[in-house]
Amino acid sequence: MTVQELLQKADKVVDATGLSCPMPVVRAKKAIDALSSGQILVVQATDRGSLKDIPAWAKQAGHELMETHEADGTFVYVIRKR
Amino acid sequence: MGKRVAIIASSGGLETAYKVFNIALAAAAMESEVGIFFTFEGLPIIHKDGPSMLKLKPENAPMEEGFKRTNVPPIQDLIQMAKESGVRLIGCQMTVDALGWKPEDFIDGVEFAGAATFVEFAQDAQVTLSF
Repeated sequence: MTVQELLQKADKVVDATGLSCPMPVVRAKKAIDALSSGQILVVQATDRGSLKDIPAWAKQAGHELMETHEADGTFVYVIRKR
Repeated sequence: MGKRVAIIASSGGLETAYKVFNIALAAAAMESEVGIFFTFEGLPIIHKDGPSMLKLKPENAPMEEGFKRTNVPPIQDLIQMAKESGVRLIGCQMTVDALGWKPEDFIDGVEFAGAATFVEFAQDAQVTLSF
């Protein structure tokens, strides 16, 4: 799936590109709080640590990480709210 | 859910401030209840003059450039985010008194208490960290 297709799935998109740890998870948490259960959050990040951090965050908070995508150094995560 | 992280910040410098608030913010984002006890050299982190009091150690000076390059936010921004996330900031009353400081010398939202308050909070924590 292309990034464009992933973004189209989103109820909300967080652009955390250029931000370092722990900001991608901090921004993701803030954004997902504003969604309803079952809605889709897409997070974009360039922090390589987010490859481990976003799954850890999603698992701990009980959200479902549906997809991880990498293109040109940008990581795209598709998360379904618990 | 229902997890708790208890942190002691007892060392000085900007390095300590970043270590503490990076972990605190990540924990808060992961739905943990977070409390930080600022004591001894860690107390200036929550002082109103923190920005001028907190310096990197000379051997860490090269990090300043790295912080800029990697968009690390100013420490005051991280503290503000922590407060908005409900992180408890506890200043050590004994250290405050010993230094002759006043509660009004500190940023808004700080509570002052002693060791027993922190221990009571930490008794129910799954994670306790000391910086």
